[in-house]
Amino acid sequence: MKFWPRLSTFLFALLPAALVAQMLDPALLLKPATDSWPTYNGDYSGRRFSTLKQIDQSNIKNLNLAWIYRSTPGETPGSIVGGEGPATGSNANDGWGTQIKSTPLMVNGVLYFTTPDNTWAVDARSGRELWHYFWRTRGGIHIGNRGVGMYGNWLFFETPDNYLVSLDAKTGKERWHVEIADVKQEYFSTPAPIIVGNHVIVGTGGDSLDVPGFLEARDPETGQVQWHWWSEPLRKGDPGAETWPDEYSMRHGGGMTWIPGTYDPELHLYYIGTGNPNPVMAGQSRKGDDLFTCSIVALNVDTGKMAWYFQASPHDTHDWDSAQTPVLFDGLIDGKPRKLLAQADRNGYFFVLDRVTGKNVVTKAYLETLNWSKGVDATGRPIPNPEKEPQVAGVLVSPPSGGATNWPSPSFDPESGLFYVSTSQSYSMFYLTDTDPHPEGYGAAERSSGGLGHALRAIDYKTGNTVWRHDYPGGGGLSGLLTTAGKLLFSGDGSNHLLAFDPANGKILWHAGLAGNVSNGPETYMLDGRQYLVVGAGDSLYAFTLAD
Amino acid sequence: MLSSSKTIRPALAVFAGLLAHAGAQTPATPVKGTPQAPAPKRSLGGGEYPDYDPAAVERGHKLFVTTCAFCHGANAKGGETGPDLLRSVLVLDDENGNKIGQVVLNGRPDKGMPKFSLTPEQISDIATFLHDRIKAAALRGTYQILNIVVGDPKAGEAYFNGAAGCSGCHSVTGDLAHIGSKYDAVGVQQHIVMPREERYGRSRGPVTAPITVTVTMPQGESFNGTLVRIDDFTVSLVDSNGDLRTFTRNGDNPKVEIHDPLKGHIDLLAKYTDSDIHNLTAYLVTLK
Repeated sequence: MKFWPRLSTFLFALLPAALVAQMLDPALLLKPATDSWPTYNGDYSGRRFSTLKQIDQSNIKNLNLAWIYRSTPGETPGSIVGGEGPATGSNANDGWGTQIKSTPLMVNGVLYFTTPDNTWAVDARSGRELWHYFWRTRGGIHIGNRGVGMYGNWLFFETPDNYLVSLDAKTGKERWHVEIADVKQEYFSTPAPIIVGNHVIVGTGGDSLDVPGFLEARDPETGQVQWHWWSEPLRKGDPGAETWPDEYSMRHGGGMTWIPGTYDPELHLYYIGTGNPNPVMAGQSRKGDDLFTCSIVALNVDTGKMAWYFQASPHDTHDWDSAQTPVLFDGLIDGKPRKLLAQADRNGYFFVLDRVTGKNVVTKAYLETLNWSKGVDATGRPIPNPEKEPQVAGVLVSPPSGGATNWPSPSFDPESGLFYVSTSQSYSMFYLTDTDPHPEGYGAAERSSGGLGHALRAIDYKTGNTVWRHDYPGGGGLSGLLTTAGKLLFSGDGSNHLLAFDPANGKILWHAGLAGNVSNGPETYMLDGRQYLVVGAGDSLYAFTLAD
Repeated sequence: MLSSSKTIRPALAVFAGLLAHAGAQTPATPVKGTPQAPAPKRSLGGGEYPDYDPAAVERGHKLFVTTCAFCHGANAKGGETGPDLLRSVLVLDDENGNKIGQVVLNGRPDKGMPKFSLTPEQISDIATFLHDRIKAAALRGTYQILNIVVGDPKAGEAYFNGAAGCSGCHSVTGDLAHIGSKYDAVGVQQHIVMPREERYGRSRGPVTAPITVTVTMPQGESFNGTLVRIDDFTVSLVDSNGDLRTFTRNGDNPKVEIHDPLKGHIDLLAKYTDSDIHNLTAYLVTLK
């Protein structure tokens, strides 16, 4: 079975060949993750599968802590300060706590990672801080930040108040910043920029005041816009406009782009899942499917022109962003090799698409408690049951708005052929609170109704069937995942542990206690002939290596 | 193939509500032991809103209705000729009338809006009213649930005593006596559907019986107590002496049995229809 094309690096022939210490060789972005971790998912495919196998099933019992780095966000002595906000001298992160949700990049022995308003460079061998950059914020919700993108010597990250900031990777000094969205319209930005060629791809978020979503490519030298793609049609006659009642509703229609996408260099397509429509839970002013919200879309990376879309949740009224990583791999369907894209969606369905055409290959509910759908149509789309839209008297829906899964990264292991994802089985009551013909914001209230905890699932991409499942006895939590050629699957368990599973059967092979829950996706890299496993939990990074 | 931990499945419910959104973008449920999610004052969308002077909001509302509502609608969401002001970028950018005032005083002749001669105080009041309305739309934690008593109390009573199996544990003259006086309808409904949330005191209702656990060693010795925590590697309980006991777990050794008094509620989640919930609510609110 062939999974990922061998890729040439000719695209980057124009870039200087001699690399200085910090510089990222763009060719690394085109390979499966090995000795570095040069982009959010390790490589463009989103598989979060590493070919490293120094750490394997036979020796994982000898995996030991190498170092801990505990971050101190905010304006600290020695930190480099930028930003357009007031000099409060403190971290504006209050209320959210410090959660490292970013997956650090590891390039030439340095880790680069973020929390909202903060970027760090840390020595990947020792965990020593090299520099810290702090951004004085104007506002925006500080719920999380997925990390940095790297182009040559430059780093890029987004802020809660919607600036794209570029830093010199060597010093942490700012090169420039540009505003990408208006914080007063309740936009806030959490994605890690993805660098493809000379494009810095940035998205944004924000649900409270019915603004439209978009994705942009920006110039790595100047920050200027190269292309801008709206998540919705702008006017009658545009593709998708027939799925909205009027231009006003589509221009206030949501569809945020808050998770980094994936990229196929041969097809030249960038794949991203879009967020929910707005108003979020009150659908009466936006009757129709509301394209291209809650969709997986494929965009030409040079033009931003949409090649195809697949809508996971038509006319969503439960906040089920499709902002889960669209994972790319090549597989066999009915004995034939296919270029595929798989996503475990927040709405409880697992989708496999042909990533050339967007045509559906598999649709299967992976959440046993899912109760909002009347089935699947001929094109593989779930059919929402209108009775499960929020009602004044309340409706009981599974999954709740938090979803059957959420942003924490899934993983696809080409050796097991299984797709791994952290999942949640829960219910909520949804109450329509805004009965106006033109509701605003969320338009409904949600009350959690408890449920059945969290599980790690291994899904067969050919059928969508769950092959094995591990239920966390303490309830668990959602965690980012990593698989490796050492036949290991790493995850958090919601009970302050990092776990290694056998990817074939879900047997727990190793665990380590941390001071907090795993809050990002684990990653691995090779330095000086030694394989490191690095994970973020709360405010700290933990690095593990094999004992000598 | 499903992995192990079958014997303790009911325990999954124990922490589910607490951890449901640990990694989620949506800050619905705070995680025990970690900082609380932001207070309702802050929306998910971001902005922090001041506490506007209610008197100014009220004055602004009255002025708005008499002066502006004809075009912009009484709720400022737009009318036949004027746009929705709650989504207006100009209004969102406004500080205490500095932008709104210019439009009010000068009009928008190109769009057919006349000038209005209002005092700075009046403009400030109208701006305060609009900002307060935006705050109300953006801060979803403050949304008020409307009338949910729409079910059939007779059907609810029949369901209570029949298919739902409520009467196996509950009595309308015992533990549920006067429940319709203790809580409003939303409280009653959540008492039915989500008693789990009440356990940890965040909470609309009484703390119900604790989850208990029995840990049986390979030699047969067993320990009972209130479950404190459990994961794949340890289980902790507090026994009848008040002593904390923690056991290392290795698969089914020792054997762990969870006794969850709310199992009936959890099981109902998959069985309820929305009508069942509405009918039960309509019935229980009559127990004054």
